[in-house]
Amino acid sequence: MSSTHEHEVEVAGVRHSFRVQGRQVPALDRIDLTIQPGELVTLAGPSGCGKTTLLRLVAGFMQPSEGAVRVGTRPVRGPGIERGVVFQQPTLFPWLSVQRNVELGPRLRGRSKQERAETAHRYLELVGLSDVAGHRPYELSGGMQQRAQIARVLANDPEIVLMDEPFGALDALTRERLQNELLEIWRATGKTILFITHSVDEAVFLGSRVLVMSPRPGRIVLDEPAVFGTPGHLVPPEEIRALPDYVDLRERVRVAIQQREPAAGGAPA
Amino acid sequence: MLNQGARRAVLHATSLLGFLLLWWLVTHFELVRPLFLRGPGEVWDAFVRANTDHPISAGSDRMVRGEQNYYLWEHLLASLQRIAIGVGGGIVVGVPLGLVMGTTWLGTLLEPYLNFLRSLPPLAYIGLLIVWFGIGDTSKIWLLFLAAFPPITMATISGVRGVRDDQVNAVLSLGASRRQALTTVMLPATLPEVLTGIRVAVGFAWTTVVAAEIANGIPGIGGLAYLAGQQLQTALVLACILVIGLSAIALDLGLKSLEKALVPWRGKA
Repeated sequence: MSSTHEHEVEVAGVRHSFRVQGRQVPALDRIDLTIQPGELVTLAGPSGCGKTTLLRLVAGFMQPSEGAVRVGTRPVRGPGIERGVVFQQPTLFPWLSVQRNVELGPRLRGRSKQERAETAHRYLELVGLSDVAGHRPYELSGGMQQRAQIARVLANDPEIVLMDEPFGALDALTRERLQNELLEIWRATGKTILFITHSVDEAVFLGSRVLVMSPRPGRIVLDEPAVFGTPGHLVPPEEIRALPDYVDLRERVRVAIQQREPAAGGAPA
Repeated sequence: MLNQGARRAVLHATSLLGFLLLWWLVTHFELVRPLFLRGPGEVWDAFVRANTDHPISAGSDRMVRGEQNYYLWEHLLASLQRIAIGVGGGIVVGVPLGLVMGTTWLGTLLEPYLNFLRSLPPLAYIGLLIVWFGIGDTSKIWLLFLAAFPPITMATISGVRGVRDDQVNAVLSLGASRRQALTTVMLPATLPEVLTGIRVAVGFAWTTVVAAEIANGIPGIGGLAYLAGQQLQTALVLACILVIGLSAIALDLGLKSLEKALVPWRGKA
């Protein structure tokens, strides 16, 4: 085995199918994927292609029908503290204030009250929510809730952040602002991020590496490095989006997503 | 222009006055025989008499205490106490039972029995309870307990089953143990439903206790109402009925405001 980093994510020969009304419906065909520490991998694909399934397998919410998911050398058997998850729906707890939500991770590990408050303040400030720390989640807008959720995950300091279409339900302006914030956070923290999206532009703009998944059963049909969100790039977003390389990659991703592969080996006999 | 709250208050006050006036007219002109219906004034006198020491009969020196040697409020308190113990037991047993039934196969196993018990009118088995536990308070409290715990258990089960998977996944990804997931997410997420179940149980227990006090129910507001009816003290019966109805409404309002204070997020998240 080659030099495996402690927090490398390895998806090896994973197939997954769901049982729907007594029939096995394949969701993921055969996924082999290694995510290096510090990468921001975006995974794009048409809805229903199984990209969320892949994320949930990495998160440990379920076990693959076949194959294995490993973090470092340890097989994933369930959710773990080193893999933070940002859900599509902000799953903040309405019985806790925004601040108490953000400090939940440290609280579960028995950190002192003062330490927790300091952590919460730091991350609430990072996502620009300091002045609503005492509010309840349902008093915030959708974009603010999503930021609070991101703060909660970051405050827990996971090595790997799994994000499942976190900006999918937001309006265009909020979405763009959060994308830029995410890039800044990634540059500042160097976290490994797996970011799922159905937006071609979002995938190309954010990723340091872009993956495209085919329609169900999902397979990875495009895997290319992208440079636009890479550390050191401090070109304004509008200019990045106008770069010829950017336009080219976006076109290739768009074509890859729309490609309807003949369901050769995919259909169950 | 009055605001909506004031308009509603005026409407209710008017209808109440109208009702009292009608009641007074019907009894004043003896449109109904006094044995069947007494006037508001006489009912008020009976209410006052039942709450004070008064001569055993007009002109006598011998004083008696309230009715049946207890003041009316003591009768009410006795009934409320039985409810508190019965429903309290229902909470202590029903909530943990509901949690277990909602999360394990025990739910499938025990649900038919619970449904059977819930669909029985409690008075159907009071005879059996009297045989088992005697005619005293024990059988009544058992009755109330058996009436109260099924709705609480059912509500807890539906609460537990309604907890979103991703809320639990979220807390597990933050590093919670199974036990921490139960206390920090499952319990608070179930609380709104549990409180609704308790409200249903209290209402159910209240109607049950009043009926159950027909047999050996002194002190007890239901027992007093029944006894007064047997002795043709119509005014006292009416006073008891008013107290029973108003107490039930007050109980429900109290529980409703408790709900509001404990689960302010209800319906918002």
